[in-house]
Amino acid sequence: MSSTVATAPEKAAQKDRQVAKPRRRLPTPYLLLIPSVVILLIGMGYPLIWQTITSFQKFGLSQQFGQPAPFVGFENYLSLATNPDMWGVVVRSLVFMAVTAFITLAIGLLLAVLMTAVGKVVRLTLQISLLLAWAMPVVAAMTVWIWLFDRRRGVVNYLLDMIPGVEMNRFAWLENPFTFFMVACIIVVWMSVPFVAFSVYAGLTQVSDEVLEAAQLDGASAWQRLSFIIMPMIRPVIAIVLLLQLIWDLRVFTQITMLQDAGSRAAEFDLLGTYIYKLGAGSQDFGMASAVSIFVLLLTVAISWYYVRSLLKEDEQS
Amino acid sequence: MKRRYAALALGTAAALVLAGCSATTGNEGGNTGGSAEGQNITLWLMGGDTPDALRDYLKTEYKDATGGTLTIEEQGWGDALAKLTTSLPDAANTPDVVEIGNTWSPTFTNVGAFSDVSDLVPELGGDKLIQSFVEVGKVDGANYALPYYFGSRYNFYRKDIWAAAGKTVPTTLAEFDETVKSLRTDSQSGFYIGGSDWRNAISWIFANGGELAEKDGDKWVSTLSSENSQKGITQFAELFAGASLAPATEFDSTPWVNINNNEATGAPEAATIIAPGWAHWSIGDLAADPKDATKMVATWNDDVFGTFVLPGVDGGAAPVFAGGSNIAISAASKNQEGSRELLKIVFSPEYQTLLGENGLGPANLDYASALGDDQFAAALIESAASSKLTPAAPGWAAVEGAALLEEFFGKVSAGGDIKALSAEYDEKITALLN
Amino acid sequence: MTTATTPNQTQLLTTGQTGRAARARTRRPLRVSRVIYSALAIVIALGWVFPVYWMINSSLLPNRTLQSFIPTFFPVNGSLNNYANTLADGTFFSALGISLSVTLIAVFFCLLFAFLAAVAISRFRFKGRKSFVLAVLIVQMLPAEGLFIAQYKMVASVGLLNSVIGLSVIYTAAVVPFTIWMLRGFVAGIPADLEEAAMVDGLSRTQAFLRITFPLLAPGLVASGVFAFLQAWNEFTVALVLLPAEAMQTLPLWLRGFIQASATRETDWGQVMAASTLVAVPVIIFFLIVQGRMTSGLVSGAVKG
Repeated sequence: MSSTVATAPEKAAQKDRQVAKPRRRLPTPYLLLIPSVVILLIGMGYPLIWQTITSFQKFGLSQQFGQPAPFVGFENYLSLATNPDMWGVVVRSLVFMAVTAFITLAIGLLLAVLMTAVGKVVRLTLQISLLLAWAMPVVAAMTVWIWLFDRRRGVVNYLLDMIPGVEMNRFAWLENPFTFFMVACIIVVWMSVPFVAFSVYAGLTQVSDEVLEAAQLDGASAWQRLSFIIMPMIRPVIAIVLLLQLIWDLRVFTQITMLQDAGSRAAEFDLLGTYIYKLGAGSQDFGMASAVSIFVLLLTVAISWYYVRSLLKEDEQS
Repeated sequence: MKRRYAALALGTAAALVLAGCSATTGNEGGNTGGSAEGQNITLWLMGGDTPDALRDYLKTEYKDATGGTLTIEEQGWGDALAKLTTSLPDAANTPDVVEIGNTWSPTFTNVGAFSDVSDLVPELGGDKLIQSFVEVGKVDGANYALPYYFGSRYNFYRKDIWAAAGKTVPTTLAEFDETVKSLRTDSQSGFYIGGSDWRNAISWIFANGGELAEKDGDKWVSTLSSENSQKGITQFAELFAGASLAPATEFDSTPWVNINNNEATGAPEAATIIAPGWAHWSIGDLAADPKDATKMVATWNDDVFGTFVLPGVDGGAAPVFAGGSNIAISAASKNQEGSRELLKIVFSPEYQTLLGENGLGPANLDYASALGDDQFAAALIESAASSKLTPAAPGWAAVEGAALLEEFFGKVSAGGDIKALSAEYDEKITALLN
Repeated sequence: MTTATTPNQTQLLTTGQTGRAARARTRRPLRVSRVIYSALAIVIALGWVFPVYWMINSSLLPNRTLQSFIPTFFPVNGSLNNYANTLADGTFFSALGISLSVTLIAVFFCLLFAFLAAVAISRFRFKGRKSFVLAVLIVQMLPAEGLFIAQYKMVASVGLLNSVIGLSVIYTAAVVPFTIWMLRGFVAGIPADLEEAAMVDGLSRTQAFLRITFPLLAPGLVASGVFAFLQAWNEFTVALVLLPAEAMQTLPLWLRGFIQASATRETDWGQVMAASTLVAVPVIIFFLIVQGRMTSGLVSGAVKG
């Protein structure tokens, strides 16, 4: 870096900048933001505005074919609020989100700890298998899982059926909502754990061995080491991966819609993502679909509010 | 597969041509005396039902008639609604002619998605066109969507199993129900039908004189709770519980795999199924494909397999669901003249004959004889004659899109309270119909 | 695991020692427990990879074998016939080309734009900064399933339907917020002091950034790039409406069409699995290429979040 010799005036200018720290007044940050802001305005801004407006309109297929869309105020939202199906979907989505995200996190944590406890070869084996699962495109992965859970020729039923006393031959996993969402949960966990495991493992590798060993010599139990040394170190990682899992699992769409293709499209099998798609693409009620979308946006903000707030606070302090 | 490749190549070529043309021609569209000369148009076909030979025929004939290029794009049934919804209103990108599910016709015609083709109808076949399909494509007496092909369903059964049990082909619906129930064993459905398979299940409603929806004044009302509908739904629920081993949630099954002998067990999983006519190509004795030993082919065997039309309550044929497609010109298309030219080709005697020869019920019933005189043709024609369509309500596509009937029959099949469910779904369906 | 020691890490290591002097190496965990852990890890690894294995296994078996009720666990008499049949019509390669173009364009611009924005928000204080961070956080929480009408209208109005560019723009916009969010942590993790030191040494601000900060950021860019890649590669609802032409399909659309076409007769699982494998292969190759950098990227970004 020292190979570049700056001319004297340049150097002087830099010195000035150093002393005065006039960063605030430079337009640089705004220039840097322009590309992102522009692409966001184009790609997300218009749809977001359209969606917000549409959620206050009666907007069906006739409107799509050119009829004027009358404003109906909060009618769409009111009819959602009074629709038991909608609340069924919301509750189901929240439960699915919580269960799936926490299972993902728990397994991810365990695998990360396991990675630190085994030798290099074993660790690499585990990491490569996780990496392969992570790399599977969702549509391809779903196809395989549907094939695994196939009622007649699926390996899962075949293997379970071999256990003495278990009668699983022809068991239709996708026939009732409980086992349907169980399968969905297994699949989503399978897909999401690699990210969590790698991130947490990355966090764990930053905890120094020496400290842990020293603590051990001082008589700290495994549990104490975990809760007083390891956990505080990786808490930020856990917070962020948990938040991401919550957001992703709340709006899971492709997995559910593909399972529905193989199982049932009935309302009991809907989560928010498929519910919106069914309202919009299926029933051509774009006003309602937009209202649900805005609701989901608000719900997600509410779920992540704690994190967003602490992020903004931390930001102010730094 | 070849078809896809051909379509791809053609599509690319046509896209290039189109890009070149759209800048120069600037056709005004409408029926206002434009010329079909040299118009390049796009036709959307749903799924793979139209065979390659027919597609090639359309392209060649269109080229000969107008000098323009016909591009055929195949759209999957599953995602078609979203694509039609976005593309049809968009003049710059709309397909010019589209095949749509016949049951969706009312929805799109009512919002003005299609061009009025009433003046063409006499030339295209007039009264000879299959009327139930013409009706769903009409608004206020004007024709917008016309029939493309029909393919109603009939039964396939295992003669060997039926004979062993001493059963003969039933003549009434009640007899059918009883027979297939008696043929069920722990490993074999007497009648394999998915519990959510509403397109077939509604035949029991129709057979009992019920309707899915009726027009009350100028509003459509769902009528699952009507006395006749209730009779049919109850019968179907009993039939499903007593005769089928399929999951209650199965809705779009491929039942013919169940009537063939299973290689592992040497026995079929169903004694009877109901399926579209072309399923017969997949039914028969299984053997290794001489061309590729890793695959199996089915060869129809008259000693083992048979067909019959679902019988009505008092004998005759039951009014089954009239499967099939309609065809229409996008109102937003700039190539109205070319599109009309294409319709003339589709409804020409040659093309109608081709449809029949390929096992698709021709829109013009004068050409039904092209289906042949074998048992499959006979069963198709007989079942179609008494077939029935879903209500011509503007919101029907929404009902299908929301999967309400699948849901309803799924719950009924799972043993739910029929009366309560009917009332609940009547309310839900009526909300979408108008 | 790679241990590219970033300043961030060094700092962490020292603070982590909390004054207690590092003692001499002590005993490793007991051998027996280690064996148990290793066995457990191997079992989990096998379980996790099983669906991937099953996909490849099935793709090598003839459909006739797959029709049996007894699964075949090893492709002993396997062949590549399913692949040959799947590739026969050439549509795979056209879809692969479109998917690759859309994804790579989206990833490139997404990383570039997000990087600039991340620098702005982690290196500068300015008016509107907080609103921007908030907007970026929130905009990505909008569910995409109801947006297709608006996206179609927008893309069609500028004549970019059925084009790689139209879809790339939408994908870039969809992925940029998350990437900014992720890169922000990486950029913040690199002390500004380093740049300032370099500037004292006579480099301009830009030079300092390019020579000092940028190389340290590489793993972070890779890790964020992987996410952008996966999102763009997997997406299919937007692609469905923005690419209505049959000749313009991305791989997820191609695979979905393949599955649906197969399902209208009788699903040919062998071919469907071969098709799935083909769609997965480019991602696996991509992952293997970036694997080392990605994991170190996660390390350096992890703690900061």
